[in-house]
Amino acid sequence: MIEVNKLVKRFDGFAALDGAALTVPDGSVYGLVGPNGAGKSTLIRHLTGIYRQDEGAILVGGEPVWENPALKARIGSIPDDWYYFLQASIRDMMRFYRSFYPRFSMERYEKLKEVFAIDERRTIRRLSKGMQKQAAFWLTMCCLPDYLILDEPVDGLDPVMRRQVWSLVMSDVAERGTTVLVSSHNLRELEDVCDHVGIMDHGKVLLERSLEQLQDNMVKLQVVFPDGMTEVPPELPVLHASKIGRIHTLIMRMSAEEATERLAQYAPLLVDAVPLTLEEIFIYELGGVNYAVKDIVL
Amino acid sequence: MISLNYRDSRPIYEQIRDELRKLIVTGAIGKDEKLPSVRSLATELAINPNTIQRAYNELEAEGYICSVPGKGSFASGDTGADDARRKELMNKVRELLRELRYLGVTEAELLGLIKGGAER
Repeated sequence: MIEVNKLVKRFDGFAALDGAALTVPDGSVYGLVGPNGAGKSTLIRHLTGIYRQDEGAILVGGEPVWENPALKARIGSIPDDWYYFLQASIRDMMRFYRSFYPRFSMERYEKLKEVFAIDERRTIRRLSKGMQKQAAFWLTMCCLPDYLILDEPVDGLDPVMRRQVWSLVMSDVAERGTTVLVSSHNLRELEDVCDHVGIMDHGKVLLERSLEQLQDNMVKLQVVFPDGMTEVPPELPVLHASKIGRIHTLIMRMSAEEATERLAQYAPLLVDAVPLTLEEIFIYELGGVNYAVKDIVL
Repeated sequence: MISLNYRDSRPIYEQIRDELRKLIVTGAIGKDEKLPSVRSLATELAINPNTIQRAYNELEAEGYICSVPGKGSFASGDTGADDARRKELMNKVRELLRELRYLGVTEAELLGLIKGGAER
């Protein structure tokens, strides 16, 4: 489990993290979203022990990360700006990783050679951006981490490679129970891979939910009321309502069954429950918090 | 064996559930046949294993599959218990009938369809 509590980090008086808190349960895949400058990468650098917090606590598996090599050996990380030595080939970097990660698996390294199909003798500096990302995944997955911290991991990868790396990560989650925290701007993609989502802005985590909670607690309905009824009954707890012709589109915070039941008493001509996308859920969830949602949901 | 449609507005777990149900109903997955493991589906589809587990749990609750601890999930071949699904499908048929009536399809034609469908 990864627990972050009331984390504060200031750079020259500017609070990049301002009381951020999140919880990633064991074996789950947690997606962290938020606009540029929300503090995602700063938070991630705390989780990997690169930054030291000003206030608050970070516990990974119950232990603090800062200056804790035994714990860090179990954390795999792909930062946004992956570091490699200037003249190093993938094979050189493999030796470097192997010396830091006691669990480094050569067997997996050889297997992944076929997946990524990059010559291991090539200098990383001379590889394209996407290929460098692939090399980072290659080496990180060989460390057999218990915790995988990924900052914009599929940025720069082609669609086939995206799928490939997600499939590698998901198989590790299924087989080894790896706990994953991933930051991304792509809500569509997060919907496939994540089971928990947290949304950040201005150095705080505004909302954190399991995907199941999000999907089951909100419903979009298309309703046609019988003749003579032009308005939505005021006693219905509607988050958002719009109307095109006779069709009302209602967003309600309840399950589809409950909503259909409650509408049945008005004898509507048509009730159609339409699932919401993660993007829509965020817009309506955060709409109440009075934030400029459009900037957050990218 | 399962294809996900990323333009579909249904959540992923619902798509997986519906696709698997279709495979079971059509007999593509026979009675007592083993379903793919959660692990292998997660890898194949690049989808979170918990999402797939959720689809399996729902199918089990509906009675389409039964899971044997340590062995995997199997098509149960006995779906008589699923009243909710029956109700849902009947509602769908009702909706379709309403539209067919509007289009002027006669009762005889529909009866013929039901008989023909049952034979198949």
